[in-house]
Amino acid sequence: MALQLYVWGPAFGLPSLDAECLAAIAYLAQTTNPAEYELIQSSPSGVPTQHLPALYNPSTSTWTSGYFAITRHLSFHPLPSFHSSSSSSSSTTPTARKAAADSSAYTAFLTAHAAPLLALSLYVSSANYSAATRPAYSAVLPLPLPWTEPPAVRAAQRRAAAHLGMSALDTDADRSSSGGEEREEAGWVAVPSRSSLGIGKGKPRMGMSVQGMLAPEDKARIRLEGLASDVLDVLAPVDWDGQDVAARCLAFGYLALMALPEVPRPWLREVIERRYQALGKFVERFIGDVFAGGIQALPWVQDREGMSVVGVGARFARGVLAEVPWFGEQWCRWWVARKKRQERKGRGLKTGPSGDLLLVSWLGCTLIAMSAGIFFYRGLPPFGAAVQTWRRPAAMLSTLGAAGALFSGTLYGL
Amino acid sequence: MSSTRPSAAGWRAMQVPRPLQRLFDRFPLLMYDANELPARSQHLTSGELPTLYIFSTDEDARLGLPSFNPGCLKWQTLLRLSNLRFRTLPSTNHASPTGSLPFLLPARPSSPTSSSPSAAAGPIPADKLLRYAQQHGGVIPPEIPDHETNRAQAYLALVTLHLRNAWLHALYLDPAHSELLQKLYIAPASSSGGVQAALAWQLRRAAAEQIVTSSSSSNGKLVSSGGADAVDEESVYAAAGEALEALAALLAGGTRGEEGEDRWFFGVERPTWFDAAVFSYTHLMMEFMGGDDEEEEAPPPQQGAKTKIKAKTTLGTMVQDAGTGELARHRRRMLETAWPGWDGRTRA
Repeated sequence: MALQLYVWGPAFGLPSLDAECLAAIAYLAQTTNPAEYELIQSSPSGVPTQHLPALYNPSTSTWTSGYFAITRHLSFHPLPSFHSSSSSSSSTTPTARKAAADSSAYTAFLTAHAAPLLALSLYVSSANYSAATRPAYSAVLPLPLPWTEPPAVRAAQRRAAAHLGMSALDTDADRSSSGGEEREEAGWVAVPSRSSLGIGKGKPRMGMSVQGMLAPEDKARIRLEGLASDVLDVLAPVDWDGQDVAARCLAFGYLALMALPEVPRPWLREVIERRYQALGKFVERFIGDVFAGGIQALPWVQDREGMSVVGVGARFARGVLAEVPWFGEQWCRWWVARKKRQERKGRGLKTGPSGDLLLVSWLGCTLIAMSAGIFFYRGLPPFGAAVQTWRRPAAMLSTLGAAGALFSGTLYGL
Repeated sequence: MSSTRPSAAGWRAMQVPRPLQRLFDRFPLLMYDANELPARSQHLTSGELPTLYIFSTDEDARLGLPSFNPGCLKWQTLLRLSNLRFRTLPSTNHASPTGSLPFLLPARPSSPTSSSPSAAAGPIPADKLLRYAQQHGGVIPPEIPDHETNRAQAYLALVTLHLRNAWLHALYLDPAHSELLQKLYIAPASSSGGVQAALAWQLRRAAAEQIVTSSSSSNGKLVSSGGADAVDEESVYAAAGEALEALAALLAGGTRGEEGEDRWFFGVERPTWFDAAVFSYTHLMMEFMGGDDEEEEAPPPQQGAKTKIKAKTTLGTMVQDAGTGELARHRRRMLETAWPGWDGRTRA
């Protein structure tokens, strides 16, 4: 049985649209025989760990997710054809130890600093997101899922990049909030909000300041370049070919997504092309070496189970449920805790007591109390209705006493 | 006081019940002047020495012992290394003008004339501390040589990503250390049980979110809002172990030091900011999470470490076992350099 690697699907001419997935694919492609692994397009909701890349190893029947955990798993459970070149098999010599240390340092640096930078370019910037990233996600997901999954990914990426303080690139957020905020920020210069500009309609209107016509990426250009060079200055002098395979693949994953996608605001690509040509060359060379046969040459496999109507429907329903304001969060927490307990039980580990019984009984009590309340409420007369009604009895023959009875014929049994 | 007149008139215009009216006539409404600041604020905000506000206990702060917060400990160590004389006071994030500790108040001799603490020089946030120390006669710790700065940045990511995540997980999410968390962060904040429970819940949630967000940014919705259970603790600790190994290897191989022991990161002759950053985590991990110094017959730590988690490898033992114990020795050298004369375990 072959290893199964679940990844985000291809985009931008690369095998995956996510940096860690791209790195995982490159890692497997370099270290493992193509007959021994399968690549499966998926999304986080399609795998039990809820996180891509995810690796299913049938020989140990375990799920591993995250690039770091996958490389660790593969080095502990090597396949027959597994060969990690230049990897420190003899980590006792000082030079090998130093090389391994360098590799893990650069891996950590990429995760900590390159990921937020990439998030700024592909996810936070509204123009790039709507023109490049969002369509890429839509292309790799089956139909109802593009409505739930990309916004969740974008929210997570925005959180990851929040500490860089560049949320101004996200003009969607400005537009949905009131336009007055932007004006306040600009001080006495009244900057018209972007939505009122009609960008692309030709002539700018009268009296519009130059600043108002600039895209947010242009306004923040200097700061963006500063952020980019903070990260790339560290990465540029590194001899990537001398690094460990794992670190090299991860560097490729991030740098390729920085340098290659065609986006409307290509500030990151321009910085790399202008000042860090070595990194651009590294990406090209890497693609030439590892993905020489193109994307289609990789061992892609269709995920039948996950792509069935029921499977996709369940994933979509979960995605919608998770978006419900308060309830969704509680539900997510409960669901993740349940999954984790199942997984620990599957490995024979001790698990904490599950609160499911308590939860169900609590829900039952609430339901009973609510239905009792509704029943009681429905039994109440409508507000404003009179409690008692007096009606004058209708004048009928039976009300006239004996004479009435005589006339109505009841006495005679007629 | 005159500003209260209209509202008082408004009161008059309303029909006040007779008995109440009589009562208020007997006790006329009086406005007192603004209170003096409490006497202890004088002590807390003025002194002959600059004051560094950190997370600490009263006793530790009085003795100037290391803080139990990694961020505070890093700056405290750097200031001590720069030979600036200062005192420390325990504080919380709420007291800080930037919203985070540490910060430093410059020396303000308390004179009876300028009683208001806000009249003196403003507080100094963490990133300007070294410049302040330089201006006031301190010796700045040496810089890392230019050709190594990029590597130092990369290695720093090991500390700020992997070690930080492991520390957050161990302290906030691991039930084995909940007593420690209670003692360090929650009990000093409030004595009310309800407030403490809410605070603990908030802290745990924030820590889980930090770990999930920083270790990988491409999460699905379920993971990013899944709370503490969404954290993959095995990979957090594995990453921390790898980070410690890498730092130990850097320390061992980075220098051509002859005497073997007296080495700092990147072969600088005195400890730098990088040493302080590594020390801030390794010290706390060894101090609070098992793994006391090998040759000292360590008294059992008072915190929850002695309970039942001895079988599990704690962060402290991970620090100790990294490489050939380089990080543990580095920590001891740092303590000897920055806290000379402290035996390392005088905890009240």
